[in-house]
Amino acid sequence: MELIEIKGVYKEYETAVALRGVDLVVGSGTWCSVVGPSGSGKSTLLNIIGGLDSPTKGQVFVDGADLGALSEDALARFRRERIGFVFQQSYLIPYLSSVDNVMLAQYFHSMPDRLEAEEALRRVGLAHRLGHRPGELSGGEQQRVCIARALINSPRLLLADEPTGNLDRENTRLMLELLKRLHEEERFTIILVTHDPYVSKWAQRIVTMEDGKVIKDEPLYY
Amino acid sequence: MTGRKWFYHVLTSALRQRKGRVAVAVLSVGIASTVVVSAVGLSSGIRRLLGGELKAYGANMIVSKKGGHIDAAMLDALKGIAGIEEFSPQLYSPVSLNGLPVGPDGQVEMIGMTGAHSLNVSGRFPGEGEVLIGADLRAGLGLKTGDSVKLGGSVMTVSGFVETGGPEDKAVILPLPSAQRLTGLEGKISAVLIRGRPGTLDETAKVIASVMPDADVKTLRQVAGAEESFLRKIELLLALVTVVVVGASAISVSSTMSATVLERLREIGLMKALGGTKKGIGRFYLMEAVIIGAGGGTAGFLTGFVSAQAVSKGAFGSYISMPVYLVPVSIVTGLVIAVAASALPLRAALIEKPSVVLRGE
Repeated sequence: MELIEIKGVYKEYETAVALRGVDLVVGSGTWCSVVGPSGSGKSTLLNIIGGLDSPTKGQVFVDGADLGALSEDALARFRRERIGFVFQQSYLIPYLSSVDNVMLAQYFHSMPDRLEAEEALRRVGLAHRLGHRPGELSGGEQQRVCIARALINSPRLLLADEPTGNLDRENTRLMLELLKRLHEEERFTIILVTHDPYVSKWAQRIVTMEDGKVIKDEPLYY
Repeated sequence: MTGRKWFYHVLTSALRQRKGRVAVAVLSVGIASTVVVSAVGLSSGIRRLLGGELKAYGANMIVSKKGGHIDAAMLDALKGIAGIEEFSPQLYSPVSLNGLPVGPDGQVEMIGMTGAHSLNVSGRFPGEGEVLIGADLRAGLGLKTGDSVKLGGSVMTVSGFVETGGPEDKAVILPLPSAQRLTGLEGKISAVLIRGRPGTLDETAKVIASVMPDADVKTLRQVAGAEESFLRKIELLLALVTVVVVGASAISVSSTMSATVLERLREIGLMKALGGTKKGIGRFYLMEAVIIGAGGGTAGFLTGFVSAQAVSKGAFGSYISMPVYLVPVSIVTGLVIAVAASALPLRAALIEKPSVVLRGE
C-alpha cells in the first residue's frame, strides 16, 4: 500500500528552481533515505511532503490526502495527525523542559498527557532528563527529545531532515539505532534526508537527487 | 492536564524564563503609560493648579444693584455656588480725610471690605478703629504706620498701606463693619467682587442672577478673556507634549515588542510544523502581549501618578488630585500599544509558510 505518491512536482523560486518534475512513490512502513549534493532539492521535497511548503506544479498525495486541495487549517490538521518532523537543528522551545516540549505536540494534537510524554522520553533513553531544558542537554539528547516529540502522536510518517547533521559519529549511531528500533516496533514510514552515506545506508531504500530531479532509486536490504 | 492549564503553563514558563526580555518590554510599555498618565493628570488639574496663580488677576465678576445697596444677608446665597472660588463684599462711600482737600471735592473714597484678598498690603489689614491708606494718599499726607487720621468724625490708627496701581491707591480701606457703622449703612453693601472659576463665568453669572434677582451681575471680560486664553495655551501645550511623547514612546515600544516576536520566529515555525493553527499559535503570543501591556499599564499608572505629583508640587506648590478614570486609561493604553505592536509581526509570521518561518526569514 502506498503512503506517498508524488506526481510531476516542480518548485520554482524567483531566482532558482528547486524541483524539476519529481515523481516518487513510497510504500507504507518503508524507511527511505533521500540523498544528494547540497542544493539538489532534498529538503524542499521533504517540506512539500510534510505540507510545510507547496509545489509550484504537480500533485502530492500523502496517506490518501491531496495536499494541494487542503485549506490552511486542514493542512495544519494533516501535519499534527499524520506527520512527525525531526530537523537538523533541534528546534526545541528553549524555555520549556524536555517533557514540556514533547507535550507541546500533544497540545496541538489533542490533549497534553504528562505521563505519556514522560514514557516517550524514557523510550528514547531520557528518563533522567525529563525536567531539563534544551540548554542543559547535549546535541544528541536534544535530537532524542525531538524524536520523542515527533512520535508522541503516533504519526504514519516521520520526516527527518539531516537529523544527524550536528552529531558526532557515536551519537549518530545511537540515534540511528534508536530510530531503527522504534521503526521496527511501530512500523511508521520514514523519509530521511541526508548527505551522509553512513546514515543513508540504514534505510531500506535510497533515492538520489541531483539538480531537482530523482536520478537514482534503489532498494537496500539489511 | 487540560488544554487551558497547559496553555497557561507554557505562558508562565515563557514569562518566567525570559525575565529580562519581559522586563524590558514591560518597562517600555510602562514608560508610554507613565507619560500618558502624568500628562493627562496634569492637564485635567491644570485649571485648579493655576487657579492660585491667576488670582493675581483679581476679581473677574462684579455684582451690584443699580441705584441702591445690596442686603448683606443675600451673601449666604453665594456660598453654595460651585463656580465661585471666593468673593469680597464691599461698601463704597465718600469720606473726608483729616479735613483736607485731597480729592477733587475734598473727599476720598472709603472702601469697607472683609479682608485683604489679593491686595498688596504693607503692614496689616485693619482691625476695629484702624485703617489702610492708599499709596497716593500716603505720599500726599506723609503718613506712616501708627499715625492717627481723622476719617469723617472718627479718629483711626493707620495699620498699613496698600498699593495696587488702581483706584485703591486713592482710597482708604477699613473693615466692612466699621465702614457700615461709619456710614450708617449697617447690613448693607455696595457690591460683591467675585473670583469665579475661569471657563465657567457665564454659567456662574446665570446662577448668581437666579439667587440674587435684584442684583446686576457683570463679567469682567478683559480679565476673564486673558485668563481663559492663558489656560487654553497651557492646555494646548500639554496636549501637544503628550501627543509627541506618547507617539515617540509608542514607536519605541513597537520596536521592542516587534523584536520579542521576531526573535521567536523559529518557535512560531516549529508550532506550525507541529500542526498549530494560526489562531492556536497566535493566542500564545497575544496573551503574552496582553500580560506585558497590562503590567506596563499598571506600572505606568503608578509611576505616572508619582511623577505628576512631583511636577505639581515642584511647579505649583501643591499636589494634584488625579481622576480615577486614569487607572483604566493607563491599562488600556498599555494593552493597545503592546498588542498592536505584537500583532503586526505576528500576523506576518503566521501567514507565511512554515518552511520559511522555520528558516527564521
